[in-house]
Amino acid sequence: MKHRIRDLKKFIVTSQIWNSIFRHEFSDTSRNRIKQITSNIFLHLHPPKIPEYGLKLSYTWGMGGITFLLFLVTVVTGIFLMFYYRPAGEYAYADMKYLMFDVPFGAVTRNMHRWAAHGMVICVWFHMLRVFMTGSYKSPREFNWNIGVFLLVLTLLLSFTGYLLPWDQLAIWAVTVGTNMAGAIPFLGHEGPFGAELGLTSRYDARSFLLGGTLVGPAALLRFYVFHCVFLPLLAGILMIVHFWRVRKDGGISTPRFEANNVKEDPGKEAKKVERAHVFPHLVKIEMLAALAVMIVLFVWSIKIDAPLLEMADPTITPNPSKAPWYFTGLQEMLIYFDPWIAGVVLPALMVVGLMAIPYVDINPKGNGYYTFMERRFAIVTFIFGFYVLWITLIIIGVFFRGPGWNFFWPWEAWDQHKTVAHTNVNLSYAFGIRSDFFASLFGGIVVFGYYCSAVVFYVLKRNCDWMQKLGIIRYGTVSFLFLTMMALLIKIILKLAFNIKYIWVTPWFNI
Amino acid sequence: MKTDDSADLRHLWSRRDFFSLAGWALLFSVAAGSFVAFLRSMFPRVLFERGMVFKAGYPDDYTVGTMSEKYKESHGVWIARTEQGFYALLAVCTHLGCVPRWVEGENKFRCPCHGSGFYGSGINFEGPAPRALERLKIYLSHEGELLVDKSEKLLYEKGEWGESILQV
Repeated sequence: MKHRIRDLKKFIVTSQIWNSIFRHEFSDTSRNRIKQITSNIFLHLHPPKIPEYGLKLSYTWGMGGITFLLFLVTVVTGIFLMFYYRPAGEYAYADMKYLMFDVPFGAVTRNMHRWAAHGMVICVWFHMLRVFMTGSYKSPREFNWNIGVFLLVLTLLLSFTGYLLPWDQLAIWAVTVGTNMAGAIPFLGHEGPFGAELGLTSRYDARSFLLGGTLVGPAALLRFYVFHCVFLPLLAGILMIVHFWRVRKDGGISTPRFEANNVKEDPGKEAKKVERAHVFPHLVKIEMLAALAVMIVLFVWSIKIDAPLLEMADPTITPNPSKAPWYFTGLQEMLIYFDPWIAGVVLPALMVVGLMAIPYVDINPKGNGYYTFMERRFAIVTFIFGFYVLWITLIIIGVFFRGPGWNFFWPWEAWDQHKTVAHTNVNLSYAFGIRSDFFASLFGGIVVFGYYCSAVVFYVLKRNCDWMQKLGIIRYGTVSFLFLTMMALLIKIILKLAFNIKYIWVTPWFNI
Repeated sequence: MKTDDSADLRHLWSRRDFFSLAGWALLFSVAAGSFVAFLRSMFPRVLFERGMVFKAGYPDDYTVGTMSEKYKESHGVWIARTEQGFYALLAVCTHLGCVPRWVEGENKFRCPCHGSGFYGSGINFEGPAPRALERLKIYLSHEGELLVDKSEKLLYEKGEWGESILQV
């Protein structure tokens, strides 16, 4: 019997059909291990050999790969959902119910779609953190970091457009909050600074471009569906192709540079000094196990925990509270302290710009390809502060500590729908005794101008220092502006909470 | 033919130069034009949304000193009658567009999303709302019915509330 099977196997693997498909054998030689990779288009995303460092999950975390896996999961589950879901106001919600109850495995598939999407957002953040901590955005990988920033924005937009599709109360109001921020874009939104002056109306502005009308209705649903299923995935797919290709071109997984001097000289060459392992079977094995673990967790999670589906969308009833998706509650929390055009447009834009600027303002050659704290203190402290202390904390507050009326509630406190808290807020100029509008505007302008001038003062004081001369005025200007703006967020929060200050600068056109 | 010594000849264009520039210019103009056309196509001429003007009954249907919620659910508008006359308020919070609620007992509007508070007149007095609620043009039809035009907004901060009162 054993002979029969062996003969059968030999017959198959020596056949013409088999050899036309598979261009490698099964022997465990170095040559064949390389052939397994190079003869397979999917595996050949990887090089045939990588430095041994690249096998360590403690170094790489595997988050980039897991993010891609979750993207594939959302694509496959998404296609399945498309067989049953119609993006029309009359059908969308009913189709969701149909999927959850009447389609075999519909509930699990829908849940997997949502949890994989949320998982993808989280993994993208971890991936970004890991790349930052290993300095893998430094030369020659600067551009790839920026491709990554675009992919981060696309991931959030994919999640946001998908959020509307269930057409329930959660969907319609979260998207109302989100798209109203588009209406607050300066110069492009009819409710933003200078929007009305430019002749923008609720029918013709950036918000109505997204919604296909003046309100979140059937036109918006169809438009978001097309964005979510066609436009954004295509764009994300193209950028992923560039992103993966650049990883290879820039020298593969970043490795510790033992000579800090040759940063620019031989970017790809340093990898050869390290011991190299075959991708097949070692990395492929690790990736397969990681993918298996992620899929198991995702399956169990999707079977046990249903994705939320509230009552059907009702434009006349606003739930209290109406929260944005969790990855945007940080921005929603900022709305307490800033006007929509700042909290929803300017600050997120500056965050993206700041992320993109990182590889170009960071001239410290240390930490490129390995973990270190002492050699990169400013970079790491600033990034961790911006990411964890500000961004993640604001999200946590928005999700767990805010209840009806966006009032503060401890997580264990029962939500009181009628809680009213007296807010007596004053503007900073008022607090300083200024009562006239003109002088209030002047005062505010002086405060903001003076705040940013501190960067100029610091430059003047430190202009002869070694590091300042290496940094140069452009990089210094960029870093100081972004840093001061980030601190301004914290300062404004403290002023509001401790002293009930509402606006720092009041003008007839905008308030900060 | 261009020669090195003659600086004058360098300003001469060959046929190839001309057509090369014309070709690229044409390509980019078509691309730019298509993009502008695409942007315009994203703003349809007809919207399938409720009509902006609606009838709101007769003046006698409203008692002086009340805030009517009769058209709040159907049209998103409150109609108030005071000693001076009628005014209509758009039920959209000026903070981020949620629908506020009229709290009869406290004589004010409260928004559930972020806690903005407005007086019965529409003036914002607490919370993050930066402006007063928007009033809408309210007028009488030929038959004496109240008509509210949601496309005609009257903003307090622009001093337009003078026109917002309909005296009957």
